[in-house]
Parts: sequence; structure tokens; C-alpha cells
Amino acid sequence: MATIVQPLQETLPTYNEVTRDVAATLGRPKKGYYVLLGVVLFVLAFGAGALLYQIRMGLGVAGYAPPVLWGVYITTFVFWVGIAHSGTLISAILYLFRSTWRTSVYRTAEAMTVFAVMTAGLFPLIHVGRIWYAYWLFPYPNQRQLWVNFKSPLVWDVFAVSTYFTVSTAFLIVGLIPDLAAIRDVSTGWRKKLYRITALSWQGTDQQWRHYTRAYLYLAALATPLVLSVHSVVSWDFAMSIVPGWHATIFAPYFVAGAIYSGVAMVVTLLVPLRKIFKVERYITTRHFDNLAKLLLLTGLIVGYAYGVEYFMAWYSGNQFERASFWNRAFGEYWWATWTMILCNGVLPIFLFFKKIRRSIPALFVLSLFVNLGMWFERFVIIVVSLSFEYEPYAMGHYTPTWVEWAILLGSFAWFFMWFLLFAKNFPTVSITEVKEITPMPRKRPVQA
Amino acid sequence: MTRRVLLSAGILTAAGALVFILGAPRGAAQGSPQQTGSADTVFEAPEISDTAALEGPRQPIFFRHDVHAGQYEIDCQYCHVNVEISPKPGIPTLSSCMNCHLIVGSGIAEVDSVRAYFNEGRAVEWVEVHVLSQFVHFPHHLHVNAEQDFDVVCEDCHGQVNRMPQIYQFAPLKMGWCLDCHKEKAVETGKPVSTDCSVCHY
Amino acid sequence: MSDGMNRRRFLKVLGVTGGGATALTGCSTDRVEKLIPYLVPPENEIPGLATYYASTCRECPAGCGLHVRVREGRAVKVEGNPSNPINQGRLCARGQASLQGLYNPDRVRSPMARVPGGGFEPISWDAALTRVAEQLATMPGDQVWFVTGKEAGAFDSLVSDWLAAIGSSNRIVHEPFAYEALRQANRTVFGVDSIPHYDFAAARHLVSFGADFLETWLSPVEQSLGFSSGHSYQSGEMGRYVHIEPRMSMTAMSADEWIAPVPGTEGLLALAMAHVIVRDQPAGVPADASRISSLLAEHTPAAVSARTGVAADVIERLAREFTQHASLAVAGGIGAQHAAADSTAAAVNLLNYVAGNLGRTVTFHTAQSPAGQGSYSGTVELVEAMRSGRVGALFIHGANPVHTSPTGLGLTPALANVGLKVSFARFYDETAMEADLVLPDHDPLEQWNDFEPRPGVHALQQPVMRPVFDTRQTGDVLLSVARQLGERVTRTLAANDYKEYVVGRWQALQRRLGDSRPFEAFWSESLQRGGIWVDEPTRQARLAATAGSVRGEVWSAPAGDQLTLIAYPSPAFFDGRGANRPWLQELPDPVTKVTWSSWIEINPATARRLGIAEGEFIEVTSEHGSVTVPAYLYPGIREDTVAIPIGQGHAAFGRYAENRGANVYHLLAANATGFGAVEHYVGVTLRNTKDHERIAKTEGNSRQMGRGIAQATTLQALANPEEHQEEHGDHAAPVPDHIEEIIDEWQEDQYHEWMQRGNYAREDLPRWAMAVDLSKCTGCSACVTACYAENNIPTVGPDLIRRGREMSWIRIERYFEDGAHGEIESRFLPMICQHCTNAPCEPVCPVFAAYHTPDGLNAQVYNRCVGTRYCSNNCPYKVRYFNWFDHQNEADAAYAWPDPLHWLLNPDVTVRVKGVMEKCTFCVQRIRDKQHQAKLSGDLLVDGDVVPACQQTCPADAIVFGDINDPDSRISQHARDSRGYHVLDGLNTRPAVTYLKKVRNIAEGEA
Repeated sequence: MATIVQPLQETLPTYNEVTRDVAATLGRPKKGYYVLLGVVLFVLAFGAGALLYQIRMGLGVAGYAPPVLWGVYITTFVFWVGIAHSGTLISAILYLFRSTWRTSVYRTAEAMTVFAVMTAGLFPLIHVGRIWYAYWLFPYPNQRQLWVNFKSPLVWDVFAVSTYFTVSTAFLIVGLIPDLAAIRDVSTGWRKKLYRITALSWQGTDQQWRHYTRAYLYLAALATPLVLSVHSVVSWDFAMSIVPGWHATIFAPYFVAGAIYSGVAMVVTLLVPLRKIFKVERYITTRHFDNLAKLLLLTGLIVGYAYGVEYFMAWYSGNQFERASFWNRAFGEYWWATWTMILCNGVLPIFLFFKKIRRSIPALFVLSLFVNLGMWFERFVIIVVSLSFEYEPYAMGHYTPTWVEWAILLGSFAWFFMWFLLFAKNFPTVSITEVKEITPMPRKRPVQA
Repeated sequence: MTRRVLLSAGILTAAGALVFILGAPRGAAQGSPQQTGSADTVFEAPEISDTAALEGPRQPIFFRHDVHAGQYEIDCQYCHVNVEISPKPGIPTLSSCMNCHLIVGSGIAEVDSVRAYFNEGRAVEWVEVHVLSQFVHFPHHLHVNAEQDFDVVCEDCHGQVNRMPQIYQFAPLKMGWCLDCHKEKAVETGKPVSTDCSVCHY
Repeated sequence: MSDGMNRRRFLKVLGVTGGGATALTGCSTDRVEKLIPYLVPPENEIPGLATYYASTCRECPAGCGLHVRVREGRAVKVEGNPSNPINQGRLCARGQASLQGLYNPDRVRSPMARVPGGGFEPISWDAALTRVAEQLATMPGDQVWFVTGKEAGAFDSLVSDWLAAIGSSNRIVHEPFAYEALRQANRTVFGVDSIPHYDFAAARHLVSFGADFLETWLSPVEQSLGFSSGHSYQSGEMGRYVHIEPRMSMTAMSADEWIAPVPGTEGLLALAMAHVIVRDQPAGVPADASRISSLLAEHTPAAVSARTGVAADVIERLAREFTQHASLAVAGGIGAQHAAADSTAAAVNLLNYVAGNLGRTVTFHTAQSPAGQGSYSGTVELVEAMRSGRVGALFIHGANPVHTSPTGLGLTPALANVGLKVSFARFYDETAMEADLVLPDHDPLEQWNDFEPRPGVHALQQPVMRPVFDTRQTGDVLLSVARQLGERVTRTLAANDYKEYVVGRWQALQRRLGDSRPFEAFWSESLQRGGIWVDEPTRQARLAATAGSVRGEVWSAPAGDQLTLIAYPSPAFFDGRGANRPWLQELPDPVTKVTWSSWIEINPATARRLGIAEGEFIEVTSEHGSVTVPAYLYPGIREDTVAIPIGQGHAAFGRYAENRGANVYHLLAANATGFGAVEHYVGVTLRNTKDHERIAKTEGNSRQMGRGIAQATTLQALANPEEHQEEHGDHAAPVPDHIEEIIDEWQEDQYHEWMQRGNYAREDLPRWAMAVDLSKCTGCSACVTACYAENNIPTVGPDLIRRGREMSWIRIERYFEDGAHGEIESRFLPMICQHCTNAPCEPVCPVFAAYHTPDGLNAQVYNRCVGTRYCSNNCPYKVRYFNWFDHQNEADAAYAWPDPLHWLLNPDVTVRVKGVMEKCTFCVQRIRDKQHQAKLSGDLLVDGDVVPACQQTCPADAIVFGDINDPDSRISQHARDSRGYHVLDGLNTRPAVTYLKKVRNIAEGEA
């Protein structure tokens, strides 16, 4: 259904305006941009330093306290993988469903996806004891005649994440081609060269368009199942084990919903400043935020429900270890983490029932921040709190992260934003082509009656 | 027990070697068949002028296996006594060198230096050629004794030592190489040969 | 290193071949390894094969026999000598740690002389000896004093001969735990100044009045073995053991009933029990018991009950039980050494007497037992002599009086008046720091010596390796000094060196034993056996005239807000001599599970009253001094009592001992008790300094939340099984049958797959398994230290332990349960890798580092491990330990084996690098070694061939290991035992470790 019932933009721009406005976002950066980039790079360097220190000294510099042998790193890994999800959802699934409002936001979401996966992918490496042997996790022919253990969910992870990274990257690049061509035609200097190469000499001929749309469609179809599979696999890292609080059948759907939830929240967090700075309010409107908020509401409710089910199952199973574990979650030494998570992810989204809040951008921005926080704590609770209260009472322990872990966590955010900043200044963050698709034809010729 | 037998065996070999060495002037090798084993060709260790060109690390004493094990056909285990009973092969003690070199080899520079070491009670610091990581356990005694069942001989891992003027690492000594042999032997002999990790790694 | 005593030189000295040397190369194969052959092959030593030398343990006066495992000229492990009648092959944690005395990096490496400015400088042996001789020549003989620890054998007589030769008789024996009270009591009651032999194996009913006979008292290993065979549950029967002490010691934790009377009144209970026995006159009461009925008259159960706080009917019951079976009562523990301890011990003697135990479970030898000679009053006498300037030269050997005497005694200031202070210490201990000359003695493992722990046991010590440092045996030092002093001295000291002196005594011994063989045969046989054991005649002890003088004296508890403080001996450090052994510092205290420090045990109720939380530093003040220690809340102690262990708080004594915890001797009275000992009870007040520190303990949660991890039952319940079912079962849901079937099938496939991979000595593969009998396990933790020694486990220090990062492969879990009558009940459970058949750790490892071997081991391939730690997350037993730091890297701060400590590394076991997971392997290196030998010799492994280090050393014989596929093996029988259970059975992990429930023998009327 390509016909547009009601245009998303309040005042309709022309094709030229679109190209101009978007191209403007790529204009010479102002001082603020460099300051921001500088800060990000500094934090990144700090995180990298912490990592080197950890590699030299050993994992002991992190706060691990047996039996808690997974901590902030795996928490953050799951967090970023989750972030990655909404991108593909918005760009691929909504595309297949022909929901047109996605056009001006999907590029941002997609870029976010790729960078989030790039960030997430670092953490399994950061967390292993001998990072210099991490490549052993890949099945490759070697003189030792050894193979990886395909029974291990960690190996599934390797495949899930790498696949997801490949596909979403391809999807992003393909989507960019026509836009790059458009900008190529308006830009000058070294950038022109850059875009000439990256645009793969796109001429916009009918044939190219035919191939392009097909390719895009197939990629979308290919990416869609990944949205569900990747985080299901990640959830099995936990669900496949026998740790009380991990070993639950609900984990896959629960994690996927949570992933999309956190992803959408991150999209909101990014779009709000972005549309201000880049002055693209015309393209990214309250209507978009309204829709995103609805998505938040839906997934948020699912997550809240999942929390409830977890506790119900713990009680209903009659398994004393499960019961003890969940009792400890709510009222044990980590109660604050648990309640933060429930408040941010379970309670706050309720407010999204109100249209006022859905359409108030400041409110949404604040709320999205809380959701990000809450989702990080969700993973923290699942991983750390469950491990700290397992089967063997004598071996229970207390885990408190050290500065190294915090530094590396911050560093990961810096890493993510570095890529995003570079991307935003060098590539169109709003899809020119697709926005044009939904703007009315320029009135060169009289309209047929 | 085993050891005593071994030693006496060793001493006999030594005696044999002595007789042979004393009987035949160095170089002119007229070994009688029962001493040279395969009667056809008698190996004669070459004179070596350029030791720098030789393979393998330089040792404090230029001990020539090709002379001892090759030309004089001294049994490996005359010097490497423990290899049949101990997981570690052990390096021959200087006293076992002196068993022969008290008498023979005068005038040869290297022999003199051996005697010097021995008389001054200095230890020879040989450079280890076949290095295994400490997390690999290679039981020599099992492999040396596997000749019967599995037809394993020293040369399989150490190469034609009796033709080496200077010892160098012949086999890669990598895990894959170990496994290959273990698998082949299992196929050849039809007897089980373990490829279980904890046989070598603990 | 400055003293040039580095690994390379060591190799030169000993001619170690590559094997030993590579123990430290970690994972790096690139560095050039040198191979250094022997010049001449040493007698019976083959590179790569271990040699065992018999010797004697000198870590405490018990004198257990040793077998020292030597590889490439280095002692790498000590084990008990099976033929020795005392320890019968077993060893305690202290004995296991003796290696760390030998290789201690803080040993005195050469003779040292004090520099006027302070501190020491090296001095040559000749110079040192001349200096001693010259000084001795200038002073009258009686100015020379000699302090030794408890010695019994050649050195003992040599010192006496030597002193006599230079005309002195000033011989002081400073042995902190000399059991003065016990000997005093024996003099009073039996007129014997000796310590009898207590037969714990024969005692079916045992009452301990504060004697920690499983920890330090007399001969712990021997007594553990005896106790375990006499008390543990066997085929429907077991002994009964009642412990009477205000504090629940580790020993008390093995008791069926723990009675905590008012501190210092346990003697009255003994008298009351005797009273009841004499009153009721059951069978077996000796005729002349009536002689003491007059002194017992006043001690009626009712009267005693009022003073002890123990109900009269309980006393009646104890007395009844005491005469029903062969019984034994013991007293005189150091932890109960209060002013009335002699009276207590005397009362217990009377109790034993009226119960007719003399000659049955308590036997005196005709020869005076050398056990526990000397007394604290000797040290007091020495100090007075020093004050009054009567001490010209003081020689100190094998004792550390500065640390182990009350501060009020003023030993240190008094030492200033001594012209020449010579210490033979092996370490810079507090006393050595005061000396003018330190002439380091050989380590017991480096020296010739003999030792007679009790009549009839003549144990030998022989050097098992070349001396590590430039030390010299004190016997030789004394002899060469004597030679320098000239003919007047050597006339009585003929021997040229100490070995000759020892041999001389043994020639005499051979004559005494009427052994007609040539001496060489006798000598070499004794050396191989570790000594010679003969039966000494015993004597029938009768009541002495003084027996009637026994009065029911009690220790007068302090008045007002003061609490009773008990200074009790540490099971790990003894009197403190073990404090410089990292293994012992890292060893969790069996009772509190605290490491690397000392603490004060306070009852939770008392703590609540005083507003004290665990870990808060408490200033403990007695009238003699004060110390500050962290609080540990312990339910196993009376509310009016607190306790601090002896042994920590060293001011010197090396990097591992210095400034850890507090020295409780600061609190104790300086003047000797009536029986000439230090009083270990004192009134104290507590002040909370509010400083706080997380206590470095390995315990997470002391309650098992009804998870049935450490299970127990009672003898009575075992008698009628239907009750038995209900006993503390694992409440986890049982596995449904159809699941069971599926898993069985899967397991079959797995097993066949494994069979393809493996080829071990037996055709039908073994399945290694272990059983631990909890009714025998006393929690002594000897297995833990043995495991450290065998498997190159690093010690990590207190900071890491606070984060739960201890590496110990064996975790002795200590759980508390509330008994039926509100009493506290404690249980031990040695938790090791369960080698599960369905091991949860295996499927989750992405690289097969954790996998199952064909012979049923849950193996860990260190060099394949990447360190994802998933295996440990998925291990319900939490028995996998991760290398957080690089403990094997000499350059790293976390290096666990500072030179020369690394010489004790076991060359058969990989030293793990940072970032890999490690765990118990059932001592796979021992299994493989035996399998190799079996292969070479062509015969099969038989049950008992493979013995893991923990089983080998267990003083209670609680561990059984073997092939469970062999239906006749001991392990199979144990696995079938009705008491057997698997921890967390509901998870269907199918562990290879079977635990046999602890059994309590409750009194009638209880439960």
C-alpha cells in the first residue's frame, strides 16, 4: 500500500528541500562537535587503558567474587546486544509491514544497531581469562586437531552475534547507496571522492532501482528472523544452565522483548538531541515519537509481565532453590538493584498510556534514560544476583565491581558514541530516498485529475 | 631390578665397544659383521671442519652422536640408562662418559674437555633441544617399551640421531603430530591407543 | 639474589635434570632450558622417579613418622610413615606444612652476628665458633645457660653432656605446651611424674574435660586415628563421646554431646561423676576406691549442679554411661589450663580410677614418658637469673620464649643483662632478633637426629637432601665448640661429629635390645623403617598417699562486667611456630574458617548486649595487658566467655607471620600457676573500637537452609530405618523416572564414546570414585594442606580471600544446625569436585577444556582453558577455582612461591597460569603414574594402588578412593552403604563422591 493516507510531516518539504536539509547535516562540523568527540575519545582511551591493565595483571583486578564469576562485562554485553535489536526491528520488520512512519528514523536506528553490536562483541573478549586465546572459540582447522564444543551456548553466541553483525551491516550499507549518490551530487572535495566510491556509481536508473529494491527486500526478510533468534540465543547462555534464576523456559521471549524495549529506548535517547542539533524536526516529528512510545509501551508491558511470570514460576515450581533465589532477589543484599529494575522497566512504561506523555519529547527523553538504566540493571540482577545465591550455601559470596569494570563500561559507551558521531557527520542520518518516497511528487507537470 | 639388568647390559656393551675401539684404529673402520649389525655398509662419521654450518643449537661440548651411536654403534640406552624405567629420559652423567674416556679418546680436544669437566667437578650445561611445555607429560618409559606392541622406536621422535654430528629437533613435537602417530598406531596394530586429553595433560 | 642462592646455583649443586627445572616455566616453551646432569649418579636416585626417605616430623612434640618424597634431589612432599606406630602413615596439616619450613624464604641463610648499630651481618662459621669458644673460655661454667624446646633423644642428651662438660647444669626446657597440670595431677594421684598412654580406640565411652585431643593435645594424629576407630559408626555400633568445656573447640565438634559448664568448674563434674560411681558401686570399681569416698562425699550431683550450671540428672546420666562401657576420661588441655587445671586433671584421674580404666584405657609405662617435660617455671627461673646477672652466656635452640611467654615476665629486658646470647633459630623469630649470634640449625629434614616421642618408639631423622642454605646442625656446632674449648671438655664428648654421636647411642640401643646382628644391618634397617619400635613394660598405677589431698578447686570466674577469656592453642599454628608457613596461614581455622589473622570469639547474644558486630576491632584488656583483634560471632561459646587463639601476632618471624592478628600472651599472667605453668584463663573487658574490617574467612553461609548438604542421623534412628528416611533428606524434587531413563541412555552412549578414546591399564575401564565418612571426619583440615602440597595450589593471601578467591581444591564446609533442645550442632563436609557422571560443567565449556575422561574423571585441561568461567557458574558444588592473578610468575606481585619456596612444587603437576580454571582431579597424576607402572609390569591395578593425597594423609581415615566398577573394592562397598548419599542429589548430576551421613550417638532421654 504505497499510497499515503496522511503525510507524517506537518509542512510538506519538496524533494530539493529534503536533499538540502539532510545534506546540511553533513556540513562543516561546529566546535561543539569536536568538543564532544574529544570527550568521547578521552573516555575511550581511559577504558582502553583499564583493559590493558586488566590483561597485564589478570582478571583479578575486576571485582569478581566467587561464586559470582560473571559480572559487569557480561551484563554490559547483553545490554548492548539488546540495544542492537530495535534497529533491525524498525528498519526490517516495519519495512516489511510497510509502516511508513519508519522512513525518517530507521537510518539512525540501523546505524545504532551496527555500532551496538560492535560494542557488544567486545565484551565476551574482555571477560575471558586468556583473551589472547579467545580465537579458540571459533571452529577453525588447527594442528591440534581440536574442535569447539557445539553443545556450549557460548559457541552459539559466537555464531549468533557474528551473523547478526554481518547482516545488519550489509543492510545498513545497502540502504545507504541511493542517499550516498544523492549527497555525492551535492558535495565537494574529498567527501565527493568518498561518496563516489561508497555510492558504487549509483545512477538511479530504473534497472538499478529494481535490483536495489529487491536486494533491500530480501535483506529485510533475512534480517527479520535474526531479531528473534539472536537474543534468544543470548538468553540461552543463561536458560541452558542449571543456575537457579537462569534455568527458565520464558527466557527467550522475555529477552527478545526486553531487547526491543531497550533498543527503542536508546533510539529515543539518540533521536531527541539529534533532531535538535541537525534541525530535522520537520522529518522527525512528535508523531514518530508517539509511535516509538507505543512500541515502548508494548514491549515494556511484555517485560513487566515476564517479571511477574518469573516470580510465579519460582513459587509454582515448588523448587526450594528457585524460591530461595527469587526471595533473595527481592529482599536479599541486592534488593536495590532488583527494585530499580522493576521500577524503571515495569512501572514507568505505564505512564505511556497517556497520549500527553507520549507526545511530550522531554518526558519521553527522561523516560527513555530510565529504561536504559533499568534494562542494564535487569541483566545485572539476572546475572550477578542469581550467581551470588546458588545451591551451595557455604560458597555464597558478595560481588562489588571495581573501578576497572566501571572504566571499561564507560569506555564501551564512548566507543559506541564515537562511531555514532563519526557516522552522523559523514552519512545521512535521515534516509533521503525513503523520505522522498512519502513526500508528494514535485509539481512539474499538472496533476492528473 | 630392571635397572640392575640394564646397567650390566650397558657395561657389556661398553666392554664390547672398548674392544672394538681399541682393536680398530680410528678412521680405518673394519667392523666385523656381528658388531656392525647390517654387514653391507659400515657408517663412518665424517670429519667436520665447519661446525657453524651444523643444524641444532651449539652445545658446551661438541658431543657427536654420529660417532658414538653411529660409527661405534653404542646402544642409546648405554648412556641414556633411565629411559626405559622413568618418564624422564635423563641426561647421561659425566661418570658414564668416563667409563670409556678414562681410557680412550686421548688427544681429542672434546674428550679432554669432558675429562676437564669431570676432574674439576663442573656440571655441563647442555642446551635442551627437545623442549616440551610443562603442561605436557611425555612418559618416555612407556614409549620406549612400546616397541614390542606398537613398533615405536627412538628414531620416530628423535630422528637418525646416529647420523647427527650435532643434535637438532627432528620432529615438530606438536600435539597434532602426537595425535597422528597415536591414531596411525591404533589403525596399524588394531590395539587401542589413547587419544584422551588427560593422558598427557594434567 | 644477593646471597646468590638462586635456582641456577641450586641446580648446579644438586644436578637437577630438566624435569624439576621446568616446573616453573609456565606456558612458555620459547625460553632456553638448560639440562644439567649429575656428575656421578647418586645412590638410588633416578631423574623422573621419586625416592622416599623415612624420617621424623618435628613440627610438634608428637614426633610422627615421615616418608619424604624426593624428586631430582628436592624434597617435594612429606607423607606419614605407615610403619610408625604413632601416626601409622597419617599426618596433620602442620606436618604436611613442614616442607615450607625447609624451603621458607625467610630462613636464616648463613650465620649472622649482631651489628652494634642493630641488625645483623653475615659472619663465617669459623669466626662465629671461635667467638663463642673464646667467650665461653672466659666465664665460669655455671654462668652458661641453655634453653631448648622439648627434646627427647640424642640432642637432648648431647646438650646435657655438653653443659656438664663445661661445668654447668643450667638446662631450661621451654615448651609452651608442657602439660604441667597433667603431670602434677599424675604425681598427686598416682605418684608418677609421667604422662600415660591413652587408648582412644578401646574407649567406647569418652569424656573430654577440655582436652583438645584432635588438635594439639599430646599426639593429635595418633589420637584422631584411635578416636575414629573407637567412636565412628561401624556396622550398627559406635562409641559415645561427651565434651565438657565452655567453648566448642574443633575437637568438641566431633562430640555427641557438648556440655558447657561455668568456666573452670569442669573438675567438679568429674568429682561428681566419681561420687555417683562410688555411691552406686557398679561392676568394675576397684576395691580401694572407697579410700577417696570421703573426699568425694561433698561433691553430690546436686551440690555440683549448683556451681557448674549442669543439671544434676545430666551428671547422674554421664556417670551411669561412664561405667556401662569401656570408658576413658581425659583432661589437661592447654585450652583448659586455668589455675585449678591440676585439680581438674586430678579429679579426672580419680574418675578414671574409680571407673577402673587404669591399665585398660590409661596405661603408664615403667620408663618415664618424655612427653611434656620442662615447665614454664623454668623460664621464670631463667629470667630471675638473668636479672640478677647470673647468666653470662645463653644458648637458645628450638624455642621462642620471647613470643610464647607473657609480656609481664619481662624476658626481653632481662636478656639485656646477658653477655652472649646465641640463637640456633632457623628463622628470625622474636627471640633470635634479641641474639648476638644466630647460628642457623639445619631444618629437621636436613639433619641427622633421633627422637623418642614415647617409651619404646625410637624414631630416626636423616637428611633427605643437601642443605638448602649455609646452615649447620646445632649438634655439630656444640661439638666443634667443645673441641675448641680443649681437652677438659672433649674428654666427656668423644664424638667427632653429631652423626657419630647419634650412631653411638644407637649402638648402645642395639645392645640394650639384645640385637645380635652386625650394627650396619640394624642401622640401615632402622633407617629404612624410620626407627625401631619396641614394647616397653607398663606398670599398674595405684592411688598414691597424696591422692586423698585432691580438693574440688575451681577457677574463680572474674567478677563484675569482666568476661572469661580462654587462650586456646591454634590447631594450625600450635604455639605459633607454624605461623610462617603460608599453607597454614591460608588454612581456614576448622572452627571459625578465618584465615591469615586472629580473632576473638564472642557469643552472638553477648555481642548484641555489648553492641559488637562481626569484624569490628575489639580492644581486649586484662590486668596484664591489652590487644586489639577483630570480633568473630560464634554460637559455640558460653555467653560469659570469650576466646582468642594462640599463635598469631608475631613481631618478627618472616613475611608470612609478621603483624597478623594479636599475640594473646600479652593478656596472660606472668607468674606461674601452682603447678608451674602459664594460666590460659584470664578476666577481660571488651571495648569496641568501631574500626571495622571484613574478616578474611572462607565461609559464605553457615546454615544449610535445609538443603541436606551435610546430612546427619543418629545411632538410634539407624536402628529403626523407617525413622531414618525422614532424617535431613535433600528436599529438592526427585527426578521423574522417564527423565532418568533418557539420561541413562544418553549416558550409555557417552560411555561408549569415551571407551573409544581411552586405553588405560585395565581392559574394562575403571571408574574412579571416592567416599567420605562424615562420622569419621573431624574437620582437622589435614587433607586441605596435603592437597596444596601435592597439586601446586598457590596461596593467595587475605585480600583475595575476602573476595572469596581462595584456591583450595578442598573446602571443609562447617555448618551449624539447631539441635532438638536448642543446642548448637556442627557438621563438617569436605567439599571437593564431585566428578559427576552428568557433570553440568562439561557441556557448557566452549573448548572442551572441561570434559569427561574414559575412566570417569571430570578432567580440566588447563592449557586448553580460555577462561570463560561458565563451568564454574554451572557447577552446583562450586568446586572450580579460577586463577585471577599470575601466581606462577616470578615477576608478578601475586607470585606464590618466592625463592626457594618454588622447590617444593610437584614436577608431576602443571603449575597453572593466570586466567585458567582449576579444580580437584582426584590426583590424576598419581592415577596415571600407577597406570603407567601397571602397563610396564604388565599386571593390573588392584584396589588400593591409587591413593590421592587427601586420603593418604587423613588422620581419621575418613576418605576411601578406588574403582567403583570393581564390585569388591572398598569404595564400592562404601558407595552401597545405607548411610551413603550424594550432595544435591535432586539435580541428577550423579556425583562420583559418596558421603556417609554423620552419626550422633544421643543419650537416652534425648532426641
